Amino acid sequence: MSEKEKTKGGKGLSFSQEGIVFLLTLALFVAFSIILPNFLTSGNVIALMRSVSILGMLALGMSLVVIGRGVDLTMVATLVVGVVWAVKLTNDGMPFGEALFYGGLLVSAFGLIVGLIVAFAEIPPIFTTLAMAPVIFGIGNPFLFKQDTHNAPRNVEWLGDLGFGATLGIPNTILVFGLVALVIHLILRYTRFGRSIYAMGDNPLAARMTGLPLRPIIVSQYIMTALVAYLVGLVILASNSGINSRLAYTTLVYDVLLVVVLGGIGLSGGRGGVRNVIVGTLFVGTLLSGMTILNLSLTAQNLIKSVVMMLALIADTLVNPRDEQTSQQGDI
Amino acid sequence: METVLELKGATKDFRGIYAIRDIDLKLGRGEVHAILGENGAGKSTLMKSLAGVHQLSKGEIIMDGKPVTFESPSAALEQGIAMVFQETNLVGSMTVAQNIYLGEEKFLNRLRGLNIRAQSYLLSMNFDVDPTALVSTLGAAQRQMVEVARATHHTAKVIIFDEPTATLTPEEKHHFFELVRRLKAKGVSILFITHALEEALTHSDRITVLRDGQKVAEGLVSEFTRDDVIQAMVGRGLSDELYGARKGVELPIRTSRNKILSVDNLSMGSIVRNSSFSIYDGQVTGMFGLIGSGRTETMQIVCGALKRNFFHGGEVRLDDKPVRYRVPRPAMKDGIVYVTEDRKLDGFFETMSIRDNIMVGKLAAGSNPASIVSMSQAQDLAEEWTKALDIRAINPSSKVIELSGGNQQKVVIAKSLVQKPRLVIFDEPTRGVDVGSIVEIHNLINKLADEGIAVVLISSYLPEILSLSDRILVARQGQIVEEMSAAEATEEAIMYAAVH
Repeated sequence: MSEKEKTKGGKGLSFSQEGIVFLLTLALFVAFSIILPNFLTSGNVIALMRSVSILGMLALGMSLVVIGRGVDLTMVATLVVGVVWAVKLTNDGMPFGEALFYGGLLVSAFGLIVGLIVAFAEIPPIFTTLAMAPVIFGIGNPFLFKQDTHNAPRNVEWLGDLGFGATLGIPNTILVFGLVALVIHLILRYTRFGRSIYAMGDNPLAARMTGLPLRPIIVSQYIMTALVAYLVGLVILASNSGINSRLAYTTLVYDVLLVVVLGGIGLSGGRGGVRNVIVGTLFVGTLLSGMTILNLSLTAQNLIKSVVMMLALIADTLVNPRDEQTSQQGDI
Repeated sequence: METVLELKGATKDFRGIYAIRDIDLKLGRGEVHAILGENGAGKSTLMKSLAGVHQLSKGEIIMDGKPVTFESPSAALEQGIAMVFQETNLVGSMTVAQNIYLGEEKFLNRLRGLNIRAQSYLLSMNFDVDPTALVSTLGAAQRQMVEVARATHHTAKVIIFDEPTATLTPEEKHHFFELVRRLKAKGVSILFITHALEEALTHSDRITVLRDGQKVAEGLVSEFTRDDVIQAMVGRGLSDELYGARKGVELPIRTSRNKILSVDNLSMGSIVRNSSFSIYDGQVTGMFGLIGSGRTETMQIVCGALKRNFFHGGEVRLDDKPVRYRVPRPAMKDGIVYVTEDRKLDGFFETMSIRDNIMVGKLAAGSNPASIVSMSQAQDLAEEWTKALDIRAINPSSKVIELSGGNQQKVVIAKSLVQKPRLVIFDEPTRGVDVGSIVEIHNLINKLADEGIAVVLISSYLPEILSLSDRILVARQGQIVEEMSAAEATEEAIMYAAVH
C-alpha cells in the first residue's frame, strides 16, 4: 500500500526522492518533446531506450553493492576486458560459446579478487575499486588483446537478435533489461542473500553480531556485479556489432553512479531497490538523449552531468544523513 | 526559591503524535531536579525542547522572567542552558583537552596551555582523565566525564543531563554527584533524567514524573517514597516484583545440571588476562565487574565478536570440545548468542521494521544463501515474537528506530532468540530500558533458565545480579576472581571482590 503511494511521486506525504526524480523526468521528457522536433520520433525513442537499457543494467549491478554499503568502479573495465577477450578468442578460432564461458570465468575472477580485497583486507570499496579498475584493464590490454576495436563474430545468429531483434515489437535489448531488473528485484527482495545485503548495508556491526556471513556476502556481491557487467558487455557488443576497448576510458561508470544516486539508493546503504534504479535510469537516459540531440559538446555534457551528480549527492546526504558510524566506514 | 526557568503548557508533537503534552515545570536557582518516567514517557523530548534541539509546538519557555525561544542548541547555550546528551558527541581523534574546549579555540592555540587548563579543571572535579589522551582510547565512563567537563566548564545557569550515570561505575557515580553538589553550591540549576530511582531519591531536591507525555507527579523529594515514584511511573506498584530478594521462597536457586562451556586461561591483550570459569545450563550465571574489568570483552571472545590472543590465548571448550570462533557466525551456529550492551551500535537495523529485524536473525541461522524468504513466514514469526515478548508498537512494520528503548531491546532479544540458542549472553539487558520492560526482560531471563538454557547476565547493577543469578562470577582486571552461589552472595561481598 505504502509502496504504491510512493510511486505516485509528489502526492501526499510521500515526497520521496524517487517521486521527485520521476516527476522531473516527465517534465524533462515533455520539455524536450516540445523544444526538439526530432526528440519524439520513433527512431529516437528506440535509440533512447537502448542506451537507457545499457545504463540501467549497469546500474542494477551497481545497486547490488551500493545497497550493501559498497561501490564498484571496476564495472566498465571488467566488462571491456571480459567481452573483448571472448571476442578475440572467437576470432582466433574458438567457438563463441566456449569463448564466452572463459570470458565469464575471467570476469568472475576479477569480481572475486575485488571482493576478497574488500572483505578480507578491509580496504574501503571506493579505493579498492578505483585502484583495481586500471589493474583489470591493464591485464586486458597488453596481455589478453592489443587492438582497440573488435568486431562481433558474424556467424552467431542470436547475438544479432539480441542487438537488433524485437519480440512483440519491443527491442530485445529492452527485454533483457526488464529481465535483469526482475531477477535482481527477486534476489534483493526474496532471497536470504538479498535480505542479508540490506542488513549489512544498514548496520554492518549488527549484521556481524547477528551471525550473517559478511565476508562471503561481500565477495558474492562483487562477483555478481562483475557478471552483470559482463552481460551488459555482450549487449553492447551485439547492438554495436562490435566493441571498442576504449570504452574503459569513458565516464560511463560515473553515469552509472549518477543513476544509482539519483534514483534514491543512498550511498549510506540499506536503502532503495530496483524501482529506484529504473527511475534514475529514465531520468539520466532522457537527459543524455536530449543533450545529444541538442548537439552539445562532450565537455558540456560532462559538465551538466557532473553538476546533476553533485546535486544528487547533496540531496542524498540531506535525505540520508551519514552518521558517525557510517563515515568511519570511509566509503565515499 | 527564585525561579530560573519555567515551562508553561509545553507541548510537542511529531506529525500529530504527541510526545509531550501540557507540561508545566519550574526550576529554582541551585535546584537539582530529577525527571523520571518510563522510556517513551517524553523525558528526552522535554529536555531537548529546553536545550533547543526541538522546538515546542505549543507552550512557552520563560527564563529569568522573560519568554525565550531557542532555535538551536547553541542558542540555548548562549542563554546559559547546556545539555549533556546520552550518546556522547566527542571527537575520537582529538585529545581530551581539545574536546573540552572544542569550538572555542582561539586563532592560535598552544596545546600546553590548553592541557594545563583542562588538567586543572578535570582535577577540580576529581575526574581521573589524562587531558592529553586521545578520546578514542577512553572507556565509556571516562568519555562521560569528558562530556560532563565539556558541558560544565561554560558558565551555564542550567545544565541538563540525559541519563548521566548509565555508563558509570559506583565510584564514578559518587564523583559525578559530588560534581552536581558543587555546581549546585555555585547556584547552577540541574535537570537530570534517570532510570535509577535511588539516584533521584538521594540526590535531587525535586522530582517530576512523566507518563505518556504528561506530568503525573511533582514535588519535593521528601514527599516521595520509592514505591510512590514507581507507582507514578507505571501506574502500579512493582518495587518487589522488580528486584525481589532472590533468597525468597518463590524462586529457589536452580542447581546446575550440565557444564556446557568451560574457559581456561583466556587472554586478550591487556584487557582479558588468564580468565577461567565455567557456564552451566538451566541456570542464570551473573557476571559482575566494574568498568575495565573485562567482563564484556571476556564474553565477546566466547561468542566470537572478539578474538583472543593467537598464542597463549587460552582455551574455550563447548561440550568438552575446544572451539575458537573468529567471527560470531560459527558461535551462533553452535548455539551461543550475545545480546549487545549497545543496541544502536551493533544490535538492531534501524531502517528496518520489527519484522525484518527478527527475520534477519532467522536468516542468519539458516545456511543456504539462495533460499527463498517467505514473507508470510516472516510475518508469522514477527507476530509470534511481538506477542511473546510483548513488543509494543503500532504494527510489526514499524521501524525499530521509532520504538522506545525497552521495545528496541526486546526486538534485539527476539532477533537472538529466533536462532534457538543454548547459551544466551545478556550484556546489560536493561540499560536504557523503562521500568515496565525491565520486569518483562527479567521474567524472560528466568523463563529461559527454567527451560534449560544457559544464561549469562552481565550487569553493573548489583540488585539486578542478585535478584536473577543462581551463580555469580565477579570479574576484576581481566580475570574472574570470585565465584559464589546466590545463597551466599551479598552486595558487600560482591563489591569487595570486584574492587580489591
